[in-house]
Amino acid sequence: MALPVGVKISVFALAVMGAYTYYANSIPQVESKPPEELSLEGGTVTPQQLVTAGEKIFKEKGACSTCHLIGRPGGRGPDLAGVGARAASRKPGTVAKAYLLESMIQPGAFVVEGFPNIMPDVAKPPISLNRSELWAMVAFLESQGGTVDVKLDDIPATAGAQPGAAQAAPALQLPGDPKAGQAVFTGKGICIACHKAGALGASPVGPDLSAIGQIQTPDYLMAKVLNPASKGTVAGFPPGVMPPTFGQQLTAKEFTDLIAFLMTLKGGVPSGAAAGQAAQPPAAKP
Amino acid sequence: MVLLVVAGLGLLAGPAWAQEQKEAAYRAFPYVGSRLALWVVAQIHLNFAAFILGVPIFAVIIEFLGWKIGPDHEEGRRYDWLSHEFVKLTFAAFSTTALLGGLLLFLLITLYPKFWAYMSAIFAPTMWLYAALFFLETFTVYLWYYGWDWLSGSRKWIHLSLGVLSNLFGTAILFVSNSWVTFMISPPKGAIGQAGNFTGTLWQAVNNFTWMPINIHRLIANVVFGGTIAAAYAAFRFLGARSHDDRARYDWMGYIGNFVAVSALMVLPFAGYWLGFEIYGFDQTLGITMMGGFMSWLWILQAILIGVLFLGSNYYLWLGMERIPGAERYRPYIKYLLFVLTIGFMVWATPRTLIASLDEVRSMGGTHHKVLGLLGVMSAKNTAVNLMILTTFLSYLLYRRANKEATATWARTGMAAQWAVFGLSGSVVLFLGVYGYFVEPIVRIRRFSPLQVAAVLITIGIVMAIDIPMFKGARSTGTIRWGTIAPRSQYILILLAVTFTWLMGLMGFARSGLRQHWHIYGVMRDTSPDAVTPALGYAANIITVTTILFLGMVMFIFWLGALGSRGHEEAHAEVVAPAGVPHPAPIGGGAGDRP
Repeated sequence: MALPVGVKISVFALAVMGAYTYYANSIPQVESKPPEELSLEGGTVTPQQLVTAGEKIFKEKGACSTCHLIGRPGGRGPDLAGVGARAASRKPGTVAKAYLLESMIQPGAFVVEGFPNIMPDVAKPPISLNRSELWAMVAFLESQGGTVDVKLDDIPATAGAQPGAAQAAPALQLPGDPKAGQAVFTGKGICIACHKAGALGASPVGPDLSAIGQIQTPDYLMAKVLNPASKGTVAGFPPGVMPPTFGQQLTAKEFTDLIAFLMTLKGGVPSGAAAGQAAQPPAAKP
Repeated sequence: MVLLVVAGLGLLAGPAWAQEQKEAAYRAFPYVGSRLALWVVAQIHLNFAAFILGVPIFAVIIEFLGWKIGPDHEEGRRYDWLSHEFVKLTFAAFSTTALLGGLLLFLLITLYPKFWAYMSAIFAPTMWLYAALFFLETFTVYLWYYGWDWLSGSRKWIHLSLGVLSNLFGTAILFVSNSWVTFMISPPKGAIGQAGNFTGTLWQAVNNFTWMPINIHRLIANVVFGGTIAAAYAAFRFLGARSHDDRARYDWMGYIGNFVAVSALMVLPFAGYWLGFEIYGFDQTLGITMMGGFMSWLWILQAILIGVLFLGSNYYLWLGMERIPGAERYRPYIKYLLFVLTIGFMVWATPRTLIASLDEVRSMGGTHHKVLGLLGVMSAKNTAVNLMILTTFLSYLLYRRANKEATATWARTGMAAQWAVFGLSGSVVLFLGVYGYFVEPIVRIRRFSPLQVAAVLITIGIVMAIDIPMFKGARSTGTIRWGTIAPRSQYILILLAVTFTWLMGLMGFARSGLRQHWHIYGVMRDTSPDAVTPALGYAANIITVTTILFLGMVMFIFWLGALGSRGHEEAHAEVVAPAGVPHPAPIGGGAGDRP
């Protein structure tokens, strides 16, 4: 008995699709998992742990190995074997860790001869390495022929993506009134005694806040005002000066007004250490 | 049917659903999960959409040809019948496309509310425009289809204009919806705020980096897809035909469908190259992830599928030559064509970097094989695909002149010129391919590859410009014996349709998987449980399921269409079979359902 045409065609079509499916299942199966966010701030981390964490980021979240090979030429970017040793001599006056950091967050600042300027800023989406991850990455790169001496303070507090950044968060609408917040800044809060904010204040006791709204998030500022120690001390300024008592002194409205005011400060990044910037600012590089 | 199943699943999951938070970023689709539900529905919808947008493009061209030849000629009527047959297929699939589009929309709104809110906040005006265009497209196609006899004779130009208009609306629909999907791949970088909010204009969102390349790529791909499905339909009818006349008719229809598909397929790799180029231009990391990252094996699979398409369509042409008196003189050349195609196929399907075990790496002396590694790079692959396109064009040229002998006085010179152009073009492609190994990638990408493409396209243009006048008034060595082609040729048409449908599924996965764990690349991260981009094996399983569902639905719809046509067969017996069939006879189904 002859099979109906429809059956023959169906069997044939299934066989074709089956062949493609079989082949696709027989080649190496590689999933792409969302990268896990690493947080090392506040903990005790050994250099070896840092290097191990950095290597993982190199291969996974950082996607560095897509372009950079280690010990083999032929990658789209330079071979990173021995980069820990030669990093110190790449740019005169720039120490290895500073150069390595710069090469990740300002990759266009110095491009190795013979390679195109195609590397993205790894602190920005889609790679979005945070401060801890940048720290680990510098350690890993230093370990390629050099000495691992990078500290968390070597990574500017503003460097790296904020945790959970770029996750479709709509622009945060702060409930506070910036004008009222300015009054708190110059009046009840007495912030002006230590901080400069644009044309307001001139004291060098604390960091200049003229551009704080551009370089920090509301979350950071809220935590910093309520519990200054939780965010560390900006490099170049003495620790423990900022009082931890604003949570008791200010009303909720005054607090939100103050934060709203600080977020309006988006002037040019002031010279020297701006608020939230730690030692080894990129500006120090030649 | 699909809606009933979905509704049933929804009712079963009702209590759990009700407990979810109103402000949830994601909601779970019962049993299969949100991603899988959306994936399957989106892919089947896209397949139907591609079909109903692709087929009218060549249907109107065929109708135009029929009109130019004139209804008084048998050939003119034949083209008109074929165009109507194609539009009938489209018409039958129209409502299913709309239903699947609605289902896709509901799934997006209900399963990905935050994503939907973000996208609709930017694209709302284009969504209203889309709906308006769909209305216009629907009513124009209705008029086009139902007005076939009413707008005939002196009013045929109005009918043709309706066909053109429906294509314009269809293309506009495609472009609008492409703006949404391309925004997800390449959101304009200067128009995204630090919090991920869109700060640009609507036009910036629409006219993003990959919008126009995908518009062009999809437009061409839709024509290929429409051609292959229409040819497969003809093959189905051919194999089931009970009379020689029917076989002749559907043999011819299959040939035209395949001709349309192959013609568009030849330029598709160029459009794909442009798209890839723009992805690199938008973001190097994205481009590298696509070609050299976890997706690299996907392109090997793609190469195999496209290789099957090229080999299959050439084989179909060679089988078709068996029914053309005079084609025997070209038979000796076929083995050379097959050789070039096979070598090209093998080069194109050669991976650059093999994921191998340590022992395998040691025995190869590295992750790149000494010889095969050299063939796995773009220089070799571009050369291979360009030579395959040239070879396919040559196959078509031989087919075209199979039963003709040029009588033009300058025929010998013309043929020599054609061969010279072929030889020169092949040499240019090969030279640039080899030279490409010794230059910077940027030179290869920006100069050599476009030059290779230009060489091929110019060759096609020049050769056809010589061929058409050279064979005008040519002596015939016999009439094509439509309907006598080997039945296995029809399975080739089925193979092409299945392969291209599967390939579309694979490219859908590539486009979506390219973004990895981002809904909108670099802007909105996928934080759902489905954020993992699956491996190729899992993707292939889903693609096969969607292809089976799509082809099953298409067969059902075509069967329904044929049911409706049976009562009208006798009334339209005057529609003739192709030339070469001695006695035109009543249509064996499917053709006689005109109102």
